[in-house]
Amino acid sequence: MSLPPDHLDPLFDRWRAEAPRLAAPLAPEVWRRIRAGRDGREPRGLAAFAAAFARPSFAIAFVSACVLGGLFFAELRVSRLQAERNTQLARSYVRLIDPLLNSLPPAGAKVGTSHR
Amino acid sequence: MKRALLVILAGLVSGVLAHVAWFDTHRPAGGEGLDSQLAWMQQTLALSPEQFARIKALHEQSSPQLLALAAQVARMRDEFAAFERERRTTGEVDFLEFAGFVEQRRAVDRECAESTRRLVLAASEILNPDQRETYLTLLNPALKGTDAVGVN
Repeated sequence: MSLPPDHLDPLFDRWRAEAPRLAAPLAPEVWRRIRAGRDGREPRGLAAFAAAFARPSFAIAFVSACVLGGLFFAELRVSRLQAERNTQLARSYVRLIDPLLNSLPPAGAKVGTSHR
Repeated sequence: MKRALLVILAGLVSGVLAHVAWFDTHRPAGGEGLDSQLAWMQQTLALSPEQFARIKALHEQSSPQLLALAAQVARMRDEFAAFERERRTTGEVDFLEFAGFVEQRRAVDRECAESTRRLVLAASEILNPDQRETYLTLLNPALKGTDAVGVN
């Protein structure tokens, strides 16, 4: 009983055969491809930075982000100031309605018991 | 590169301008007087115009008496300091005079506590339950503080 033909068999046959000879040495070819890839790549560093800002869409997005950032930090400052102001007003109101709060004697000050 | 720097500069200037403009238009107003305190109450307690008018009238009515009491309390604090100075310098205190001071101070303390209580109660009656709770929470330090004050 014979097994049905498998489509992997030709691949196994090629694997068993001797490896094909290269037209040129391997290492120089690898370096050539690396150089070619490096030359074809996007510009890096400052050049990429300048290229990004040269795009109008990026420039508009950057300026908009700066404006939003400015508004955000201004709102943070306003909120903090408002909270401080509320605390200050609450204290002054409490002092207004309760005159005794202004009259705490200095810490540790006690009148002695000796008399004449 | 020059264009990038220009864009960065434009972004920074825009951000700073937006920051300054927003901060200047939304900065909380200053002031420490009764009007500022009433405006703060209106905002914090979300008072209706009618409630605000009644609260304002109540505080304007009570304010002179409270200020007079505060002045009296300050004067008594100075007297207390004078007793203390005398005790330190001479080693003695006029006991009868000091007893009179203590009695007077207790009377003023009682009057202060009573005035505060009356004002808080009258203000609370104007407020709805939620506003009242917020109001009393704000006053909590003062209401606790009165227990610890005074010459005993």
